[in-house]
Amino acid sequence: MLDADLPLLSVRNLQKSFGATRVLRGVNFTVRAGQIHALLGGNGAGKSTMIRIMTGGIRKDDGEIMLGSQRGAEPKIAIVHQELALVQDLSVAENIAMVHATAGLTIVRAGQRAELAYNALALLDPHLARSALHRKAADLSMHEGQIVEIARALSIGADVLLLDEPTANLTAGETERLFAVLRRLVRETGIGIVFVSHRMKEIRQLCDVCTIIRDGLTVVDATPLDSLTDNDIMQQMGQPGAREVAHSRRRFDMAEAGLVLKGAEAVIPIHKGQILGLAGSPAGPSQVIALLNGTGRSSSWSLDAKGWPARPASPRDAVALGIGYVSGDRRHKGVLAQLPIVDNVLASRRVREKRYMVRASERRECLDLVHALKLKAGSIRDLPSTLSGGNQQKLLIARWLGMSLRLVVFEEPTRGVDIGTKRDIYDLIRRMAEEGTIVVWWSTENVELLELCDEILAFDTDGRVKGLLPHDRFNEDALADLTGMAA
Amino acid sequence: MNTKAQPMTSNDSLPPAPRAPSILSAYRSEMAIAIACIALLVGVGIFVPAALSAGNFANILQASAPLVIMSLGVLVVIITGGIDLSVGSIFSLTGMVTALAMANGFGDVSASLAGLGVGLVFGSINGALITLVGLAPFVVTLITYAVAASLAFIVTNGRSLGVDSPDYWLFNSGQIIPGLPNFVLFCLLFTVALEFVLRKVTAGRWFYSVGSSPMAAYLLGIPVKRTRFAAYVISGTMASFAGLLTVSYILNAEATAGASLMLQAIAAVVIGGASLSGGSGSAVGAVLGALMITIIQNGVNLIGINSFWQGSVTGLAILVAVLIDRFSHR
Repeated sequence: MLDADLPLLSVRNLQKSFGATRVLRGVNFTVRAGQIHALLGGNGAGKSTMIRIMTGGIRKDDGEIMLGSQRGAEPKIAIVHQELALVQDLSVAENIAMVHATAGLTIVRAGQRAELAYNALALLDPHLARSALHRKAADLSMHEGQIVEIARALSIGADVLLLDEPTANLTAGETERLFAVLRRLVRETGIGIVFVSHRMKEIRQLCDVCTIIRDGLTVVDATPLDSLTDNDIMQQMGQPGAREVAHSRRRFDMAEAGLVLKGAEAVIPIHKGQILGLAGSPAGPSQVIALLNGTGRSSSWSLDAKGWPARPASPRDAVALGIGYVSGDRRHKGVLAQLPIVDNVLASRRVREKRYMVRASERRECLDLVHALKLKAGSIRDLPSTLSGGNQQKLLIARWLGMSLRLVVFEEPTRGVDIGTKRDIYDLIRRMAEEGTIVVWWSTENVELLELCDEILAFDTDGRVKGLLPHDRFNEDALADLTGMAA
Repeated sequence: MNTKAQPMTSNDSLPPAPRAPSILSAYRSEMAIAIACIALLVGVGIFVPAALSAGNFANILQASAPLVIMSLGVLVVIITGGIDLSVGSIFSLTGMVTALAMANGFGDVSASLAGLGVGLVFGSINGALITLVGLAPFVVTLITYAVAASLAFIVTNGRSLGVDSPDYWLFNSGQIIPGLPNFVLFCLLFTVALEFVLRKVTAGRWFYSVGSSPMAAYLLGIPVKRTRFAAYVISGTMASFAGLLTVSYILNAEATAGASLMLQAIAAVVIGGASLSGGSGSAVGAVLGALMITIIQNGVNLIGINSFWQGSVTGLAILVAVLIDRFSHR
């Protein structure tokens, strides 16, 4: 039988510095069998660094990590990141089987491979197991990819499963189903699950205990969640308590219709300074976004931009017209990973303002933006990889701040961002809108759309428009009904 | 400059003031290569004191000049995440075209311009096939490598060509600035100019942006295609310039003159700290890499080791450079 007292994973006094910055100053973290453990901490608290050390991505400076196994001789930690790590050109079955062919020369027969993958997937999603085995990973939706990754992690017999914001791209139904599977897994197999999320509601729904890390130290160590109020947690994370912001609908000058989105099912005028939310799974919003940022033409949408010199035919056009874009795919479409922070922040300004030379004044300019966003950085000469996820997100937003844009498009700008940083980002976006910029914001978190937007365009999972919700009809249930998603 | 440890601040307070950049820290890895070069020279000097003579320094500079210039061009391509395998062939073909033009009555200047045209044309072909057609840089430049190499034989049917023009040697060895041979002047000029462009000109930063993440660069409004195209044109033209310099020095053009240079140029860029996956590298580093390769060749010759060992020693130097780079970033 399982020995509940034996930790599966025990981290003691873990320390790590990057240059002069001490990221971990003595973190403790214990995961026991049969536990779903919430790992919490603000951006830059040291969570990601600890995870990277545990999974072998970087070396620790000091401290110890001990693994105890309940199942096999070799205890394992498996991690599923919010960004998927499947080989896009291989089939689902191949993706799952590849972690098993450890001998390298072992020839895995297709039948065996399919069986292995089927068994792994069926545990999580029998329907997907039947339908998706031979599809390429590239053809999967974010949600399906996530399920495949979790199945793959479980199939190698991991004792501790680390889930980094696994629900960021899931609908309400999918989230429910995932949680049910996770609970069953923990009950039946006695593995430990570490759940990293910033969504308090989900944490309460799923987790038993929580550990909070702040400034590289464990401030709450494996404490039952029942004994902590939301306020306690916020306080321990060092975040200002949730403040209620009454969002009043601003008045728009109707004569100043900035642009008109024309679709097969709807014609939507958007005014200067308006925040338009796009709700629903990516299929619909991505078409509108591609039209606005100049990356693609849509068959179902067109743009009537009165008073604009032109419609954006390319991102270069878009930038010249004053259209900013913050991609949801930070790693591939956001950060310039090998360029220092200063180049990352100023890249779009240099293009927009046709600066031919790197100016001496750009240092000051970048520092001001970094301060305005409360972006925690060692030096603006450092690479973005030295920043935490939330600070990288701020970096992407800094690119467009104070540029007097006509329009700015955000894709999930608060994904993987703690609540304190979220508030900062909300404030920034409001400020941009108040300066007369049109904001188009896609989010899968309906609650944040309802808090911030003036109007919400809701799409169903097939990408069809389900309705335009005006501010006076904002209501969580109504929006959840329209999109089939809840946050 | 404040280099003391920054205290961690909690989330709601202001971030620590970012530190000012310093020239020394910006060129730290280049300093390491420079020190390695000096160490190599001194090492050779222990066996052969003549290695440390002014005459030998001049030899090393003269021998390295074409490689330095070619490496600078290849560097630009590698920063964008590409590769240029055609530079060696372009180098050879440039020499053949220039010598052939002179033999047919062209003046020094017009023959040289024809030679430069080789790099310009092949660089443009590389750039066009890569950016407009979307073929992989390795494949495209492998094709132009093969074509230019064969053309270098075809133009004279394989014969080498001497240069009779009485003043052409001045291009390499003359002194526009008294006391400073032109080949050193050219190397300095190109290095400083490229380093300036890469660091201080917006379009220079684009090379890094494109190499770091072409998709992110595209979405930021950076002209990705134009930037990559320019990189191949620069690389081809610099290879041609290096070819001209060599013809001017030895007053002879041979179809195989540049055969070994392509790999040496890539090696120089890698030793200089650039990553073949793009997004990093500096002109100063590439030049030092080229110097190091030349110093190794020079040392192997002076010590009297069989010159067939040159490649092995160079390979070892690349390995050491890459390992140092790898472990200093962890």
